[in-house]
Amino acid sequence: MTASRTPCGFIPPYLLDHIADRGTDAQRARARGTLQHVRSLLHNPGPPGLKAAPGPAPGLATPGQPQRRIHDAGGRMELPGALRRSEGQGPSGDAAVDEAYEALGATYALFWEVYGRDSIDGRSFPLIGTVHYGQEYENAFWNGEQMVFGDGDGEIFQRFTRSLDVVAHELTHGVIESEAALVYVNQSGALNESLSDVFGVLTKQYRLGQRADEADWLVGAELLTERVQGRALRSMAEPGTAYDDPLLGKDPQPAHMRDFIVTRDDNGGVHLNSGIPNRAFYLAAMAIGGPAWERAGRIWYDTLLDRRLANDADFAAFAALTVRQAQGRFGAGSAEARAVTQAWAEVGVEVTS
Amino acid sequence: MSGKTLPALGPDTVVRLSRQGGFAALPHLAAPREIDFSACDERQRGQVCSVLERCLPVAERAVGGADQRFFQVELRYHDAGRASEWILTVPEQAAPGELVELWQCGPGER
Repeated sequence: MTASRTPCGFIPPYLLDHIADRGTDAQRARARGTLQHVRSLLHNPGPPGLKAAPGPAPGLATPGQPQRRIHDAGGRMELPGALRRSEGQGPSGDAAVDEAYEALGATYALFWEVYGRDSIDGRSFPLIGTVHYGQEYENAFWNGEQMVFGDGDGEIFQRFTRSLDVVAHELTHGVIESEAALVYVNQSGALNESLSDVFGVLTKQYRLGQRADEADWLVGAELLTERVQGRALRSMAEPGTAYDDPLLGKDPQPAHMRDFIVTRDDNGGVHLNSGIPNRAFYLAAMAIGGPAWERAGRIWYDTLLDRRLANDADFAAFAALTVRQAQGRFGAGSAEARAVTQAWAEVGVEVTS
Repeated sequence: MSGKTLPALGPDTVVRLSRQGGFAALPHLAAPREIDFSACDERQRGQVCSVLERCLPVAERAVGGADQRFFQVELRYHDAGRASEWILTVPEQAAPGELVELWQCGPGER
């Protein structure tokens, strides 16, 4: 047996039954099957209608007021789990529940107070989160209806609600889904990931009242345990430097197009190559100065809502639209437009007008 | 992928299993496992094929969106003497326990 890791030696009963049947005509017929499934990604049909989520009763949704509901999966992998805290209720006493509640509120506040957006779909979409999902679950995700957070394994990761920017990252996936719906593969997928990182860190900076030059520009800075040699999961300022650990290896994110990673893993490296547009945003925000959510963030938000942004956009197409949005909002020769153009040039993305 | 069938997998087949995606998409967590059929006995090959067949009804083409994890099964094999490749992706929530077990532990002992 050649395998990259040690076998456990467990064979499920149904497999024993199956193995006993080896060599039958039926099985040989199955084995002769030649229908070949080569993975081909479907083209995204565009901004979808978000799946229906039970929201407030008609007439009760108030723009500017989030509708949060935090559930507890109790270690199971079933959603949404038991309701633990609804909008307006006081702290539950469960750290994960209360972190999720506060972080979703902070993310709602960024989108509403800065960009005038009422929740994920612009129409008071309920902010539903589930915590304590699975056993030692090392992930957080958006499933089209709600956000889900694991507790981490305690060895590498702590619970995923500890980082405000992680919760905001997942909510932003919902915003992207209801706007540009960037296809989650290759460069459009990396843009999807990057936009989630951008509004994730902007939520944190807005909450803390930090200027661009005061922020750490880290994603998931509160996730890694003390056993890991690393600062965070990702660094937008210096992609590729977030961690360097004997077990995890070195942060593989590229910071420039010359280091772009071509891979079939991770949907074409969506969490890897996002380092390139991440750094472009960081550079633009730093060059523009002041709070990043005000001007750099506004340009990126306008681009996300720009109907010219195709759902399979590559970095160059996205970059070109950010420049056009900067020119449109701040002027063709504005410092903001020049900063955005220069930022993309510094990461090796050519902007064609 | 209901209704799909596995291609004919000869003794020169190599199966690569990995868990992909997720917010923390660290290469370490993908933990790819390669199973070389040339080093397996008939029973082990049958076990692997059985697990893969069980995955067919729950496989999806577009997976992993918005940090959702998925299992990726890559097959390298020969079809009429020509090198071929076949990729199957299964959302984590739909993955059969046997696939997770195979990814974690490999096939049973010879």
